[in-house]
Amino acid sequence: MLEAVNLTKRYASLPAVQDLSFSLQPGKVLGCLGPNGSGKSTTVKMLTGLLQPTRGVVQFDGRNIQENLTAYRSRLGYVPEEAHLYPFLTGWEYLELVGTLRGMAVFELHKKIDSLLQLFSLHPSRHATIGSYSKGMRQRILLIAAIMHNPEVFIFDEPLSGLDVTSALIFKNLVQALGQQGKLVFYCSHVLEVVEKVCSDVLILRRGVVIAQDSVANIGRILGQSLENTFLHLVDDVDTMTVARDIVTVMKAA
Amino acid sequence: MAILRSPVDAIQHHWEYYRERPFLRLVRLFVARVFRGGGDSDSEGIDLGIGLVLTLLAMPGGFVSLLLLDKYGTLLQWMRGTLNVDPLLMALPDEYFFIVLSMTVTGAVAVWRWDAIFPDRRDYMNLVPLPMSMRTIFLANLVAVLFLAVLIALDVNAASCVLFPMVVAATQTKFLFFARFAAVHALGVLLASVFAFLAVFTVLGLMMALLPPRAFKRISAYVRGLIVVYLVTLLCTSFAVPSLLRRLPKAPPLWTLLLPSTWFLALCQSLRDRAGPALAAMAARTFPGIAVLTALALCVYAVGYQRHFVRIAEMSDTGSDQHAVRRSRFSFYLDRLILRTPFQRGGFLFVWKTLFRSEAHRLVITGIGGLGLVLASQALMSAFEPAKSLREAAMSPDALSIPFILSFLIVVGIRVVFELPVELRSNWIFRLMLDAEKQECEPLARRVILILVLPWIFAVALPVYVYFEGWVVACLHALLVTAWSVLLTNVVLIRFRKLPFTCSLPLFKQHSIVILLACCFGFLCYAVSTPDFESWALLQPARMIDLVPVAVVAWFIPRRLGKSTTDIEKEMIFEELPTRTIEALQLGD
Repeated sequence: MLEAVNLTKRYASLPAVQDLSFSLQPGKVLGCLGPNGSGKSTTVKMLTGLLQPTRGVVQFDGRNIQENLTAYRSRLGYVPEEAHLYPFLTGWEYLELVGTLRGMAVFELHKKIDSLLQLFSLHPSRHATIGSYSKGMRQRILLIAAIMHNPEVFIFDEPLSGLDVTSALIFKNLVQALGQQGKLVFYCSHVLEVVEKVCSDVLILRRGVVIAQDSVANIGRILGQSLENTFLHLVDDVDTMTVARDIVTVMKAA
Repeated sequence: MAILRSPVDAIQHHWEYYRERPFLRLVRLFVARVFRGGGDSDSEGIDLGIGLVLTLLAMPGGFVSLLLLDKYGTLLQWMRGTLNVDPLLMALPDEYFFIVLSMTVTGAVAVWRWDAIFPDRRDYMNLVPLPMSMRTIFLANLVAVLFLAVLIALDVNAASCVLFPMVVAATQTKFLFFARFAAVHALGVLLASVFAFLAVFTVLGLMMALLPPRAFKRISAYVRGLIVVYLVTLLCTSFAVPSLLRRLPKAPPLWTLLLPSTWFLALCQSLRDRAGPALAAMAARTFPGIAVLTALALCVYAVGYQRHFVRIAEMSDTGSDQHAVRRSRFSFYLDRLILRTPFQRGGFLFVWKTLFRSEAHRLVITGIGGLGLVLASQALMSAFEPAKSLREAAMSPDALSIPFILSFLIVVGIRVVFELPVELRSNWIFRLMLDAEKQECEPLARRVILILVLPWIFAVALPVYVYFEGWVVACLHALLVTAWSVLLTNVVLIRFRKLPFTCSLPLFKQHSIVILLACCFGFLCYAVSTPDFESWALLQPARMIDLVPVAVVAWFIPRRLGKSTTDIEKEMIFEELPTRTIEALQLGD
């Protein structure tokens, strides 16, 4: 089980996340929603160990991950928000680099890379440099890098950005399958429909604080509306229709 | 005041109006992208800012001019007993050096910003959807390129155009001498700068016009490397060429065609009525040369623009020229014998690919390689000059110094290259996966450096000396170069705690100049004094034992320094942060 206990992160004196507590159970897919600046990325970075919390701890199987970060990371698969990859490496070489750093045996690694590249439709361009890849192709490379060592914890930060329809569908099914396999999945996204479809539980953040946390079904049932409307109701006091009309007015103005 | 202010205001108002017109806005965009990032990838360029770049470019000319005060100062001349000297004759080699310096710096800038000079895919995606014709984009880029050529020429030579004539005319009482000398010198160096810029631009345009885009991308780095080697050679030979020019026959020899820098010196001499027939003939090449180069640059640029920029939308993003790289036996043994941990294997893979694939790193390595070749060939020539036989030449300090020169440049050069970051935003993968406390960076860096140095010693130096001097001398020589390379590697890697290329650029520290001076001194000890001693010692090989205490000291000091560092100082870093004078404890958090 992965557990966040009273996580707080301050940049200088400004709080980015305050007293965030939640747990990630095996077999559950926890979605994380929130507008820009709500603390999603900070939370993800603390969960991966890239950022140390100012206060509170992240525990994996009851132990603070900072005690043995390397061991925790060897059981973690992470897809970051932006696909920053080394453009002069080929897709194959990048995956080989990641696998080697993870200490995977050469034969097993090559076999896995080959199979996953085929399944993600990247096999034909495996020896082209990443610099020439489209956004979706880069995203698929990141996904392969995150799953190829069969981790126990998955942290996905906007994993669908740039993916084509087929790849996105495959990925959504993959996330559900991982949940069924008893893996721990933390899924951060802006796309409410995907969270609604893929996640079993949801966490809604606003200005670094949890404002709602429950199963997707419960949240909808309590407020009697869809996740999209619930999100808007909880997070933004904005009349979206009015804003859209105002934009058109400004557009038309001389 | 009001009368005076109104025309100024009017001009300012007009300028403000015109500078925001689409065409000039576009020109400004193209000029700015040359100084800030650019290129096709998403890489974060080293952004120094326009002001700092221009200051750095102007510095060499200013410094060299000031250093020459010593040569032209009247008091010093009087103390040396050199009275009634002809300043124009004295200034010839220095003027040639300034011409070469301006060509080298301008050419290097053009090579460095090669990718940013020409509009690329990013420009296409941003500019073409806007309501402006392709011709407007073409003309705006052309104007920007011409503006840059003039700006860089003026900037690189600004200091030397004022300071150098002042230094030369220091002994002269007439202001006219200074004014005339300065005007001719300025013309010479400015034209040389423009020529160098246009020459690089023409080579770039020619390649774009003739080669398919993918081939151009592949070959581009090698051509840039060759240009850098040429420029370094030009600079390194600048001390020898003036004396050759003084002894020219009536017709200019063929080699002067390969050195356009000599044409501009000849032009300066002609304008001062100091040129002989050969120099006059060479001076006659300058203006036609520049005219032909300009016309050629414009033509190839237009063709290249048509072939590459206009058709960007038709070109596929993903490369189709894919070469599967098979895992060789070599890498298998490398993994088994040398790279023992996952960190070392993964790190080596990354460092190796970066060294030979990242354009910026390849460029620096090519420059270092070029410098090494020039110095090594000079040493080889010096070895053969006084020697009577091949055997005698091989045992001379100059010949023995060749592997020392090359190994020094590789070790120090690679160490410097390790500091240049590549795609910093992508280093999250290493931050996520590596154990910062494991202290494996130094062993990895050592292995990379030694793999680049040692094979050459055993593949080239050892067989050559076995052939000339037999096994004993060859083995001793190879052993000494190997030992010195290993010791130098240890020295340059003291307190090294980064995975190469993944950390931000080091900050300028107060001791950076000391490090630079130490490098120069180190080169003298390593590549000059050691071969001198070795040449003497190899006559009686037992004398080589004298080097053992030196080696022990050189081995002990880095080891001692490494041990004296605290655990925190050994942790791997991804960011070079300034040392804080006061540390906030943030006890309230």
